[in-house]
Amino acid sequence: MSSDPIKHSLATQNLTKAFGGVRAVDNATVSFHEGKINALIGPNGSGKTTFFNCVTGMIRPDSGTVTYQGRDVTGHAPHRIARAGLGRSFQLCRIFPRMTVLDNVLAGVRSTGLVHRLRGAHNPDDIARARELLARVGIEHLERSEARDISYGQQKLLELAGVLMAEPDTIMLDEPAGGVNPALIGRIATLVRELNAEGRTFVIVEHNMELVMSLSDHVVVFDRGRPIASGAPADVQNDPRVLEAYLGV
Amino acid sequence: MLSASRHKTATHQEGRTSSGRSVLVAKLVAAAVALGLVLAFPALAPDPFILSVGVVIASYAALAVAWNFVGGMTGYISLGHAAYSGLGGYGTALLVTEAGVNPWVSMIVAAVLVGVAAVPIGIASLRVRGASFVIVSIALVLILLLVAQSWSDVTGGSNGLRVPRPFGTDVLRPEQHERFFYLFVALTLVALVLWWVIDRSRLGTGLKAIREDEDKAQALGVPTFAYKLVVFVVSAFMTAMAGGMYALWFGSLDPIFQFSILTGSYLVLMSLLGGVRSLLGPVVGAVIVGYAVEFFKTQYGDTQLHLVALGLLLALVVLFMPDGVIPWVTAQFDRFRPGDTSIREVDAAQLAEERKALEEAKS
Amino acid sequence: MSGPLLLQSLILGLLLGGLYALLAAGLTLYFGVMRVVMIAHSAFLILAAYLAWFFTAQTGLDPLLSLVITVPLFFAAGYGMQRALLSRLRPATLTMMSVLLTFAIALIIEGGLGYLFSGTQRRIQLGYSSASLELWGARIAVVKLVAFGLAAVSLLALYLLLKKTRFGQALRATIQHREAAQLLGIDTDRIAGFGFGLGLATAAVGGTALALDATIYPSLHWHWIGPLMAIIVIGGLGSIPGAAIAAILLGVTQSLLQIPMGTTWAQTVFYLALFATLMFRPQGFFGGRLAQRF
Ligand SMILES: Nc1ncnc2c1ncn2[C@@H]1O[C@H](COP(=O)(O)OP(=O)(O)O)[C@@H](O)[C@H]1O
Ligand SMILES: [Mg+2]
Repeated sequence: MSSDPIKHSLATQNLTKAFGGVRAVDNATVSFHEGKINALIGPNGSGKTTFFNCVTGMIRPDSGTVTYQGRDVTGHAPHRIARAGLGRSFQLCRIFPRMTVLDNVLAGVRSTGLVHRLRGAHNPDDIARARELLARVGIEHLERSEARDISYGQQKLLELAGVLMAEPDTIMLDEPAGGVNPALIGRIATLVRELNAEGRTFVIVEHNMELVMSLSDHVVVFDRGRPIASGAPADVQNDPRVLEAYLGV
Repeated sequence: MLSASRHKTATHQEGRTSSGRSVLVAKLVAAAVALGLVLAFPALAPDPFILSVGVVIASYAALAVAWNFVGGMTGYISLGHAAYSGLGGYGTALLVTEAGVNPWVSMIVAAVLVGVAAVPIGIASLRVRGASFVIVSIALVLILLLVAQSWSDVTGGSNGLRVPRPFGTDVLRPEQHERFFYLFVALTLVALVLWWVIDRSRLGTGLKAIREDEDKAQALGVPTFAYKLVVFVVSAFMTAMAGGMYALWFGSLDPIFQFSILTGSYLVLMSLLGGVRSLLGPVVGAVIVGYAVEFFKTQYGDTQLHLVALGLLLALVVLFMPDGVIPWVTAQFDRFRPGDTSIREVDAAQLAEERKALEEAKS
Repeated sequence: MSGPLLLQSLILGLLLGGLYALLAAGLTLYFGVMRVVMIAHSAFLILAAYLAWFFTAQTGLDPLLSLVITVPLFFAAGYGMQRALLSRLRPATLTMMSVLLTFAIALIIEGGLGYLFSGTQRRIQLGYSSASLELWGARIAVVKLVAFGLAAVSLLALYLLLKKTRFGQALRATIQHREAAQLLGIDTDRIAGFGFGLGLATAAVGGTALALDATIYPSLHWHWIGPLMAIIVIGGLGSIPGAAIAAILLGVTQSLLQIPMGTTWAQTVFYLALFATLMFRPQGFFGGRLAQRF
């Protein structure tokens, strides 16, 4: 561990979101370490996905604020938050099923202005970059397949490539290892480490504890919509409150 | 080149590029022949009635392609596009009769006005997801019908509004039909070119992403609302152009026919049947459905059975070939083609070859 | 404007609003259980109205008795429609394709009615057709009271069904969060089918109530679908109480506006309210968060 002062580029203050009577996210004040791999763990239904959705603008929180790189982004449209540099994947993986693998990645191209946007999507620059990313996640040979035809693990890799195309500084992954075979988990872990070494911040929701412990620098534990503990992986692992939350005592 | 090579022809390396090229050539030849046939139609038509049916079908083609800017690109189904064609028609007619503006200028000005009016309508109906869009699209036709019928001082109500002919009285009926046939074909071609430009652009990729998964597109940074609004306004404008042209050709407007849910649903059926995801799908659909509709009218007159037939056809298409006939037919062919797996792997050599081509293109 | 006339419009508006509430309840149910905008709802209303008229014309009995046949029939039709047709659509395009499918069904019903009964306008002849009550100078037709009573009773029954029974609980759970309902062991597909059946059953009652006091013809459903859809959007898509409140408010407003503006222009209040709602509060005014993303 380096001894740099810890910076928080992404943080929430008293974030709350209720569905009917259920407070899925309940007054959550959380901050993540910039340039690190942060893990967000907690039992099923503890509100991790809802927290992601509030942070990325997919759901408008009932109250509280989200700040990203010093700016209040609460309630901003998802595309604005994405353009500010916050990328995300979805639990259970979302890709564009009836577009080709290549077009899936090209959908992440960041463009501005009408002229720029009327440029052909299949221009050499974009294609070269998309292929680079596909090669990086290791599915460049599938670029012409429709995304619905490739395997689930490959779809997860594709989703990651699409997120990378949008050039995010911070990447939020919702259960990247869920439903994926062990070999692929290893590959995803390596990718995350590499991308982190290049300076990207990660926030990862994950149930695979082995992966969380080996991968992350900082862990936040959620229970019933709020953080109950946070710290280095080893500390959190031994925290009695965490055990209690998981065992449901 | 790249877009040609993207067409299916998979795994075999040598065959691919050359067969990609031959597919392209075949397509171009087919398009040229089809266009030639279309252009020769007025000369081939045996009588003015058939010719007028041709004009109707050509107008449907223009309308269906215009509809497909929203329907095909975003997946948002509008049942109320008659609102924009009707407004284009009445706008053109009123500009000609009340303000004495040149008919063609009137047509364009009316279409621009409709495009402007489409902005607030789009804002209201596109901000949230599909359901509200559909509801507004239907509501808009219904309210316009109501207004056009009640406001008879201006629209002539159900007595109709006469639109003077743009070509003067010395041009005879068949000659009128012929000219309008070409005008509608030209309008359709303009719409097709515009559709193609958008479809292959980054904007188009963003729109397709919206069609597939709007949340996901937004999470990737696609400004979904703005994208939808742009094509919606383009669609309203092109629809109004077709509506204005129709008004000039037909010469008389009645609210019942101008603001008709049925017309809107014809457009949906045409595009869906032909295939909303393809450039020419709506044109093919317009020819099939337009012909069927006209045939039905002449054979069975105005019975209620045509509603049943339309309903059944629409239900069948929605249930069994929601991607349209063209993709459906291609899929049937593919099933019998040996060796074409659905996963299209490309091998290293092939990729290297394309990389080289790309490098050359760049420099 | 004279006092009695105002009172009369107010009462008529309330009665009308009650009827609207019943007619819109079905639309809300379909949207709730399946996120489907059911265009054919008003066509089924007109179908029920025709069946009531036909029943009375053939037997001479009161049209309300036709409910004994039409309610179960419509319930079965709704269940069948959901299970056999709508559930076949791909989830990704469900909202749009279901609109088209139900639109197609509406066309088939309209065409079928026109073919069987011709486009002639029909009206049920009742012993009490022209009877009316006087209330502080306001004249209220008895048939309107009967229609309102029918609406009130059915809405109350619907409310009790949803609040007090296990089926109602399952249905509400499905409306709120389908996946969560599945986790609770609810067979959400069956429930969605029943929800549709229930929706069409309300259409049977609503259509019959409508037939008591309206001249009917096959294309009448277009006249209804716009206002009804406006009601469910303004009420907040998927919220039954929201739709009921919106229905009453719009009914009263429409009725009051009829005096200075005439019936046709008063109709536009629905569309203006719809437009304003979507502009300023797309999730609707009284209802639910469900609508946020639709
Ligand atoms: N759209 C929704 N409507 C109603 N309840 C929801 C919705 N989304 C999530 N919930 C509820 O919120 C709680 C938190 O869910 P979620 O954020 O998915 O948890 P996690 O990702 O930690 O498993 C759960 O009780 C879930 O049922
Ligand atoms: Mg989750």
